[in-house]
Amino acid sequence: MSLGFLSISAGATARSPLLDAALGGGARSEVRDGWEVVSSFGDPTAERSACIESVGFADLSHLTKLELQHDGARPFAAGEALRLPGGWRCPVRPRLDLLLAEPSAAAALRPGLEAEGRVCDLTGSLGALAIAGPLAREVFARFCALDLREGSMPVRGFRPGSVARTPGYVLHERPERFLVLFGAAYGQYFWEVVADAVERLGGRPVGTDSLPAIDEEPARA
Amino acid sequence: MSGGRLAENGGQRIRRGEELRFTFDGDSRVGLAGDTIASALYAGGQRTFSRSFKYHRRRGELCGCGQCANSLVTVDGAPGVRACGEPLRDGMQVEHQNAWPSLELDVMRATDLVGGPFTPPGFYYKTFIRPRRLWPLYEKVLRSAAGLGKLRRRQPEREWRTEYRRRHCDVLVVGGGIAGLSAALRAAQLGADVVLCDEDVEPGGSLLFEGGHERARDLAARCREAGVEILTRAPGLGYFDGLVPVWQGDVLHQVRAARHVAATGTLAQPLVFPENDLPGVMLAPGALRLAALYGVDPGRCAIAGVDDRALETALSLHRLGVQVAVVADLRPDADSELTAALETAGIELMRGVTPVRAGGSKQLAEVQVGPVDPSGRLRGSARRIACDVLAVAGPQAPASSLLLQSGARARFDDTLQSFLPQEAPPLIHPAGAVAGHADAESAMLSGAVAGAEAALALGFGEREDRDRLASERAKLEAEAPTVRRAAPPAKSHDGGRGKAFVDLDEDITAKDVAYAAAEGYDSLELSKRYTTVTMGPSQGRFSQLASARVLGEVTGRPLGEIGVTTARPPWTTVPMGALAGRPFEAAKRSSIHARHRDLGATVRWAGDWRRAYDYGDVEGETMAVHEGAGLIDVSTLGKLIVRGPDAGELLDRLYPNRMSTLKPGRIRYGVLTSESGRISDDGTVCRLDDDTFYVTTTSSGATAVERWFTWWMASWPELDVTLTDVTQGVAAMNLAGPGSRDILAKLTDADVSNEGIAYLDGPQLAIAGIDCLVLRIGFVGELGYELHCAAPQARGLWDAVADSGARPFGLEPQRILRLQKMHILVGQDTDSETTPYGANLDFAVKLDKEQDFIGRWALEHYEERPPAQKLVGFTCPGGEVPTEGAAIVEGDRVVGQVTSSRRAPKLESSIGLALVEPRLAEDGASISISDDGRRIAAAVQTRPFYDPDGELLRS
Repeated sequence: MSLGFLSISAGATARSPLLDAALGGGARSEVRDGWEVVSSFGDPTAERSACIESVGFADLSHLTKLELQHDGARPFAAGEALRLPGGWRCPVRPRLDLLLAEPSAAAALRPGLEAEGRVCDLTGSLGALAIAGPLAREVFARFCALDLREGSMPVRGFRPGSVARTPGYVLHERPERFLVLFGAAYGQYFWEVVADAVERLGGRPVGTDSLPAIDEEPARA
Repeated sequence: MSGGRLAENGGQRIRRGEELRFTFDGDSRVGLAGDTIASALYAGGQRTFSRSFKYHRRRGELCGCGQCANSLVTVDGAPGVRACGEPLRDGMQVEHQNAWPSLELDVMRATDLVGGPFTPPGFYYKTFIRPRRLWPLYEKVLRSAAGLGKLRRRQPEREWRTEYRRRHCDVLVVGGGIAGLSAALRAAQLGADVVLCDEDVEPGGSLLFEGGHERARDLAARCREAGVEILTRAPGLGYFDGLVPVWQGDVLHQVRAARHVAATGTLAQPLVFPENDLPGVMLAPGALRLAALYGVDPGRCAIAGVDDRALETALSLHRLGVQVAVVADLRPDADSELTAALETAGIELMRGVTPVRAGGSKQLAEVQVGPVDPSGRLRGSARRIACDVLAVAGPQAPASSLLLQSGARARFDDTLQSFLPQEAPPLIHPAGAVAGHADAESAMLSGAVAGAEAALALGFGEREDRDRLASERAKLEAEAPTVRRAAPPAKSHDGGRGKAFVDLDEDITAKDVAYAAAEGYDSLELSKRYTTVTMGPSQGRFSQLASARVLGEVTGRPLGEIGVTTARPPWTTVPMGALAGRPFEAAKRSSIHARHRDLGATVRWAGDWRRAYDYGDVEGETMAVHEGAGLIDVSTLGKLIVRGPDAGELLDRLYPNRMSTLKPGRIRYGVLTSESGRISDDGTVCRLDDDTFYVTTTSSGATAVERWFTWWMASWPELDVTLTDVTQGVAAMNLAGPGSRDILAKLTDADVSNEGIAYLDGPQLAIAGIDCLVLRIGFVGELGYELHCAAPQARGLWDAVADSGARPFGLEPQRILRLQKMHILVGQDTDSETTPYGANLDFAVKLDKEQDFIGRWALEHYEERPPAQKLVGFTCPGGEVPTEGAAIVEGDRVVGQVTSSRRAPKLESSIGLALVEPRLAEDGASISISDDGRRIAAAVQTRPFYDPDGELLRS
């Protein structure tokens, strides 16, 4: 495959662009699907509570991100992402979609996508942070001018735009949970910006295991 | 003299029994919970709050709502706090500012007593221009003499945290008076997402101190129930194409609304007469607020005004238990229900009179009132009225700054004697007093109309809501206000001495404005700039109308012709730090960055990246590349994937050379030019397969090249090609040096011999178990391999290569190494006029290729003519390293410029690149470099300083 060097190979562990910052903040990590993933910050109960009562943010940069350039009709509306098994298909431009998937689910998606158009692996190009909790929108309001109100950005809403003064994307994954994608080279900067906003609002960084599942009913404090 | 508190009433904010202790200039004071600093001081007998800006005159409470400069104090070390708007806190340390040695005895008062005639407007422009060399001294003295407080000395004490909050909403209501609350409630009831901001500590506006506090608080409660987000102590700072920054303490809300309701109300205006700045002369709403909200007894009051507001103020103060001595109404025929009520209350009403002088030493003791002629001069004799407070109710002026910033026009209304905003843009709905609906009932109705208009325009509401709006509009129009208001003179006076101020912030008198007009500054904008009138902390709230009246009088022009000055943000003074943003820099870092830190790298900015410049030993790192193997992180290079059957065709159209003829797995250098044939970027192109190319660009040019490609792809829709920027997703590192092949051999099973990977080959191999694209190129001039891999795995690759014997080297050694090879840095060794011919890149231009390409026309032209400048190498026999940018001269004539220069340890000489006139581009030509006052002799060299035939690269 001529673009194989863009993808994560089996020979070494992959590291998120946010990992150093997370480890510096007390993160505990383990290797999953070839990635060193932050599973917790040492207190899963408090982390889970933060996502229910205030806000938590977690590094999901290990998600596979595939760019699909195609010339077919899109099966879903502009500005609205399509839920796939283990992932999302997000419209960026009329002929360009971004596929997000757990690494374990990505391999199954890829053949179908390649039949549709040209696929390019952007996993390493984009960092990803989930921001979850009732104050998630307030967190975004601290560094992002996108209108993320429910009426403008309902669940499944997907929007490219400026996030923390850099080009990015925001996906409304479920009530009170957003996924923000940004240039991987901005990883440390992004961590600083989001941590600053979250901690000011009483939230905290959380491990991926503490995030509310996308398809789970929202819990209430 | 007055003092203490009035009896309790339902509208007061203070909580009696909850005492707060604070200090004022070190003296212990006591206030009540709910007080402002000013109300607590006033209740304790303090009348002088500050000294004025220029003349250091005593200044006291004026507006009572935090909008003037009279009550500026320093609180806990922070200067510029408005005492009449700042809630009192226990333990506060309040100090005066701009007076020395004390507020009571200020030696700079001499400027008022003796310096007045010598300090007309513009005196410092005229006085301090000679001798010029003394200006720095003058400036220092002037700056320390004037001023509005002193910043804390230590930087950490000056810092505080500002939160920035972006808020989208359907309707933003600016102003929380009855009109604003009514607008917000109606819009929210129709389903809109509404934000309301107000400057006071609670919404309600003048209702709160004019007897309508219950109604105001009920309305605010209903707004909250309807979901309105109410921001208090939160002025809207300006209007920026729909964005309204709202400053609330330590939070700057950036509110972007689909519709705006401007319910900003009106501003009480002062009257101009001698000594009108004495402590005790205050605006009527200021006196009312003190009495109604804080239960402060202001003492014996006189009221002066031009319309019914003076009468209403008198009655309100009387109801609150304040002793009202007299009401001086400029209208000779004032007669209404209010006049009867005054009579019933036993308050004397003087018709057709206005203040002509205030009297008192440290504070107001009396006011003289009498009839005046149209020029403001006293006719007959004045009557002296002993009083502690003169509450002035001049013509109300709409607080129209936001509306005017949004594009509305100000038109003078003779009846209202003020400038009314008109022709507001369609997305903005004026409501309440700012729109001319001053009384409570019509203000409330106009608010409801504005709120409904805003919400319905956004698609909220039903048919019946539209019908209701129509009937309310009709009712509002039918209730057009009938105001009877006298036009005050520009200045009323008794013919005696004394300063009559039009601007208390800047100490500008009516005489100053007339003086400036006589000097030719006879338009309001010029007068403003010459005298600084309206430029103080109040932003002209209380001085614009007064100064316009004076200018109108001295120039003989009507007020409508004088106009108003341009409304500019911010509406309220706001700390500069609040506008600065959080202290985070959007820096890019490679995925290996933390390892560079571990290795002790010197990290510096390179474009928008943070990069390792060196690891502490530039020479050692450079020599390691020559003698063994070095490793540098070049992840910052731009990287593009160009794919599709027409990918080669696209590149042929963008580059001057042929890319479509590249074989898969091979690399070619390419230079990009603009349509005018000037170099814009350069890099390599590697063909990955028949339809896929991997393009690298310079680090700083990555974004521009991606946009350049995208632009042209949009122009050539017939090409089946796609582009993906993978700059941040692919890490790259250059393994270079004679030992690099051996290191590579340790990390892969592939054949890495010169036959296995030849110069300009681009195979894909697993290196240390990581899939890599290996580009055999040689920017640093030694045998080298650029290893490109997925960024998340790059640190593992770096560690593996370094552990195998490659020494990390930074950007600075790389610059030395590439300079030895005369490899250019676009932007440093080229400028906006440099063509490939001027940069010795003729080999990269193929004018014989069949495709048209960007810049072809220009390059055909330049091929036939020598370039204006040519890039050459030079050596400095004396060993000097000239400054980059230094001029190359012949006598006094500049004939070129140094673009790069370094000392090369391998060559043990000083080398560089320069753009020179073509006649000098000969081997051995002598050139002279003028560098910071010295002349450096240098010799031109046209071939690379190191490995000129490229044998090492190809070995």
